Amino acid sequence: MNPQRPASSIAAGATAVPNICLKLANKAENVLLVRQALSGLAEVILLDPVELNDLNTAVTEACNNVVLHAYDGAEGPLEVEIHACPPALRVVVRDYGGGIKPRVQSAEDAPGGIGLPVIRALAHRAEFVALDPGPGTEVRMEFATAAPPTLEEPATELGFEFPPAEADEPAAEMLELAIAPSSLARSVLPRVLSGLAARAHFSTDRIAEAQLLADTLITRTYGLLGTSHLNVDMGVTPRMLDLRLGPLHAGRAEELLGADSDGSGLGGMLDRLADSYEMAPAGSSEVLALQLAARR
Amino acid sequence: MPASSATATLNAGAVLGSREDTNELFARWQRDEDRAAREALVRRFMPLARSLTRRYGRSSEPFEDLLQVASLGLLKAIDRYDATRGHAFQSFAVPTILGEMRRYFRDSGWAIHVPRGAQERALKVRNAQTQIAGETGHAPTVNQLAEFLELDVEQVIDALQAIQAYETVSLDAPRPGGDEDAPSYGETIGSDDARYELVELDVTLASVLGHISPRERLILRMRFMEDLTQTEIAERVGISQMQVSRLLRRSLDQLRMLTREPAEAR
Repeated sequence: MNPQRPASSIAAGATAVPNICLKLANKAENVLLVRQALSGLAEVILLDPVELNDLNTAVTEACNNVVLHAYDGAEGPLEVEIHACPPALRVVVRDYGGGIKPRVQSAEDAPGGIGLPVIRALAHRAEFVALDPGPGTEVRMEFATAAPPTLEEPATELGFEFPPAEADEPAAEMLELAIAPSSLARSVLPRVLSGLAARAHFSTDRIAEAQLLADTLITRTYGLLGTSHLNVDMGVTPRMLDLRLGPLHAGRAEELLGADSDGSGLGGMLDRLADSYEMAPAGSSEVLALQLAARR
Repeated sequence: MPASSATATLNAGAVLGSREDTNELFARWQRDEDRAAREALVRRFMPLARSLTRRYGRSSEPFEDLLQVASLGLLKAIDRYDATRGHAFQSFAVPTILGEMRRYFRDSGWAIHVPRGAQERALKVRNAQTQIAGETGHAPTVNQLAEFLELDVEQVIDALQAIQAYETVSLDAPRPGGDEDAPSYGETIGSDDARYELVELDVTLASVLGHISPRERLILRMRFMEDLTQTEIAERVGISQMQVSRLLRRSLDQLRMLTREPAEAR
């Protein structure tokens, strides 16, 4: 299962642009969102359930390591990058704490921590790398999959800086998600969103509406994105989700929100399903900001 | 963290024991064929098998079924471990046990089909949704469903996803000529009729049912219109649950193919 490989480095993150980036807080409940993103990706690249289970289990172990040990009980970022280039699939799990490294070195003899042996057993290759400059650790995993290549390479880096969020909800937990190509968002975003909506105490009907809205947003923004990737900035508080999508070409709000010839359209759907929405400037582009409340 | 109890057990020393102690047991089993030593090893490392089952099988088969498979893997690892190589037993056992579970999934058709456990959960979640909505007048939250069904939140979310995926296929179908990427059911959702999807599903089924044998049609109807479980259907139709499962899968595959034809022809 875990054949010895030549010790060449798993270059994920260094040379290639990932398909999915998640920036989260190192909370146990956020690991669920990582798995939802993986399931969404699996659907697109046609991973079979056994491959997905291996992937899920190994990535969960790496994330749990960050949740439990990276920051010595304090809070800190958990970053996950997923790069699908079949027949290989690479995942990097990163933290900026100091907690994992000593555990890694003694993994062989640390019976308490079976996370790392599990990662080693399930990933085709695995590396545990100290960030330079530190502090921080990357767990880089490569999985072999039988799936054929079905995703185009992302053309550009996934970065996009949303303007600072208005501070009317200081208690909100913020999450960032970047996806490329944006077509991948159609299966990833609704899943991540349903994980968040569940946390915000949405009813199942309301979750279905949120998913429908996300799906429509993605299909309608295809041609209007300023880049080949979609960035989504999410804030979650009890009973409320704040979403921002971008970067959109400036001045195309009419096109995005206006009615179709049959009278329907994204604007109408937002009127019905969102609790507020607006187009807001963000540098030379625009972002669509919307709020979804739990409702009843 | 669901896994933490198992980890705690391991840390408590059940496995740690002492390495010498463990090596002694291995020697007694492998050199002297002392069955009591082998049993002691199984007891000592059972928490490891349990923990791996929980981690690797989190959303799949019934826990006890999978634990048996993991135990088999543990036995293999105990019989094959070579203490003289200097590696801790654990680092040898983890891949062996995971390999055993992996093989079990492959052999049981997991790679091709949605796992049985997941299918059954989706059905339970759907029924519970209807039941709770009927009792309280509004749709339940995920937490309420999880509590009601004694599932974890993620299992409920996955089940909702599966239900939605199935219904989306059906809902997309009766709109030939529409743009595949357009939200075909979008303009209708938001109306007040909560049963809309079921009605639509019915229409879709009716339009294609001519292609399916009467028995398959009956089974589909019982499963999706009357919300019967596979076991209940089996009793009524007089065949085994496995046959029901197989027939359902075949019918659904056929339905999916039929309802997708317009999209693929474009």
